Amino acid sequence: MSWRLPAFARTTAFRLTLLSAGLFALSSFVILTLVYAYSVGAAARRADATITEEIAAVEKRFDLDGPQSAYRYILQRSVGGSEFLYLLIGPDGERLTGNISDLPTTPPDEEGRVRFTYDRAPVDGEETDAVAGREARGRIADLPGGYELFVGLDIEEESRLVAGLLNAILIASGLALAFGLISGAVVSRRFAARLESINAVAREVMAGQLASRAPRTFSGDDLDDLARHFNEMLDRVEHLMHRMRTAGDSIAHDLRLPLTRMRGRLEAALVETGDLADREAALAQAVSDTDELLKTFNAVLSLSRLQTGERRRAFETLDPAALLSDMAELYEPVCEEAGLDFSTELQDGLSILGDRELVAQAVANLIDNAVKYTPQGEAICLRARRCANGDVEISVTDTGPGIPPEDRSRVLERFVRLEKSRNLPGVGLGLSLVHAIAEVHGAQLSLDEGPGTQDAPGLRVALVFPKVK
Amino acid sequence: MRLLIIEDDKDVASFMARGMREAGHVIDAAHDGETGLEMARDGGYDVLIVDRMLPRRDGLSVIETLRGEGDRTPVLILSALGEVDDRVEGLKAGGDDYLVKPYAFAELLARVEVLARRRDPDTVKTRLSVGGLEMDLLARTVKRDGEEILLQPREFRLLEFLMRHAGQVVTRTMLLEKVWDYHFDPQTNVIDVHISRLRSKIDKPFEADMLHTVRGAGYRLSAP
Repeated sequence: MSWRLPAFARTTAFRLTLLSAGLFALSSFVILTLVYAYSVGAAARRADATITEEIAAVEKRFDLDGPQSAYRYILQRSVGGSEFLYLLIGPDGERLTGNISDLPTTPPDEEGRVRFTYDRAPVDGEETDAVAGREARGRIADLPGGYELFVGLDIEEESRLVAGLLNAILIASGLALAFGLISGAVVSRRFAARLESINAVAREVMAGQLASRAPRTFSGDDLDDLARHFNEMLDRVEHLMHRMRTAGDSIAHDLRLPLTRMRGRLEAALVETGDLADREAALAQAVSDTDELLKTFNAVLSLSRLQTGERRRAFETLDPAALLSDMAELYEPVCEEAGLDFSTELQDGLSILGDRELVAQAVANLIDNAVKYTPQGEAICLRARRCANGDVEISVTDTGPGIPPEDRSRVLERFVRLEKSRNLPGVGLGLSLVHAIAEVHGAQLSLDEGPGTQDAPGLRVALVFPKVK
Repeated sequence: MRLLIIEDDKDVASFMARGMREAGHVIDAAHDGETGLEMARDGGYDVLIVDRMLPRRDGLSVIETLRGEGDRTPVLILSALGEVDDRVEGLKAGGDDYLVKPYAFAELLARVEVLARRRDPDTVKTRLSVGGLEMDLLARTVKRDGEEILLQPREFRLLEFLMRHAGQVVTRTMLLEKVWDYHFDPQTNVIDVHISRLRSKIDKPFEADMLHTVRGAGYRLSAP
């Protein structure tokens, strides 16, 4: 049989409250029990001391004036509503005097003390239940000449008091537990309701409602903190999903054109009964189109890996001058072919912390762009310098058409291609990659005007790396 | 050459095998790491082509096991993981070269043939010669038909790589990796420009061309 606790009783808050209520009840029970034990002990000690004194009083008379005197004393003391109980027994075992008929049947402890119950003679029409079965303590003492004296003391009142105390303890512990449970239920219901609101949002998000957000109380407590972090996380997820969606759309959109073009060429080659050379040319073109597509996919993959932080950092201390002169050596012939004036200004003795491959790729992308967009006869300059604050700046400057200020942040996004570059090769991932590489290195990427004219201001793209500590 | 392809994707493996057979090689294929390891242990292969992610035993573990047993057969690792650290991991495990998926078949073929050549370890040669082209690695001089050709240091290294793999197709990516040590795709035709400069020095002044463009694949240096 599967019996389940009600929902609120399964909550962590309820369990915690139950635990603390249980501990509270247990600790109050222990404390009150100690009080009880002490009270019982104290009452018993007081009674024993009183009994001892009374025995001593009887013994004194016995010693001074013999049994008769003790006999008289007991007689006097046990008249009326005495709290003392006496029994004087002669040497031959007969009862001589006292206000009880027999010695208690309860066996005494090692000190001769005994706890017993007796029925008191009712005084002035007392209720029988007030006189029957009353609790008492007593002690037997041996007197000279074989006499035995028993003195008891009625402790019914103290016993009732102590019994009342015991009841109070049990009731108090029970109440502590009950209050704990009630307050636990109330608190946990509130707590559970707030948690449930967050759970409900999680369920909605899983069901596809990405815009759902957890309600806030703005109290700044831990649940409110949880709701805030949860919402921030959802904002981030929504943003990433949106970016992924647009990136996916852009990929599909941007790759459709080259694929269509390639398909057209292949189809033409297939149906044409022209000469073999034409077919071969079509095939070769298709192969190089495929290579371009592969490059695009690789760029998308690298970019995704960079942006999701999947790439482990292979950071080392790099000399930007050495790295850039290598790049210059690779690109200088390309610029020359394109009719561009290529120059470098590289400051020695600089260092940055980075991944050689990535930094080289970023610089290569920037030079690629400069070569692609800068008209013949213009210039490209590659620089590395130390900034006033000790940071290191790597920049590629050209005297080409530049990028209008309103487009500068947009070109860093994936697949953004400005109208005038639509007819040039490329898919618009170059600057996104540079941007992602900059982020990985904690470097600032900035796009500004170059040193050109009003019509062709040129472009200066700078990567500022933080100085090596 | 006898090649062993260890690749779990049967379509990819059969496409590779077909292309390789057309290029005149003998091909065996295994579709999981364990079988691949057993077949490689039987030996007799000139090059192993190993995919990184394999069922039953991971590709890197296959290579490490073989290397641990003293098997020195050249290995080309194929992987969809293309970042620097993945590549370094693959080469550390004992791979000789690394190709990222998706790749062009020409690239794969060129790399496999270059690896096979590596079987007879280049004894420390101090001279390379192809046709009338001679390179002295100590004196850093290049001559063709007895005429000295002056090259820039990088042109010298480019020609050295081409001469060491004379008669074989080498791709642009291979050149960028081996001569410049960069592992990314430049958007511009940087390698073509460097090749054409080299051509203007070693081919142009002479009768016959030695440095040929192989369309859709790369370049080949061969005796005229």
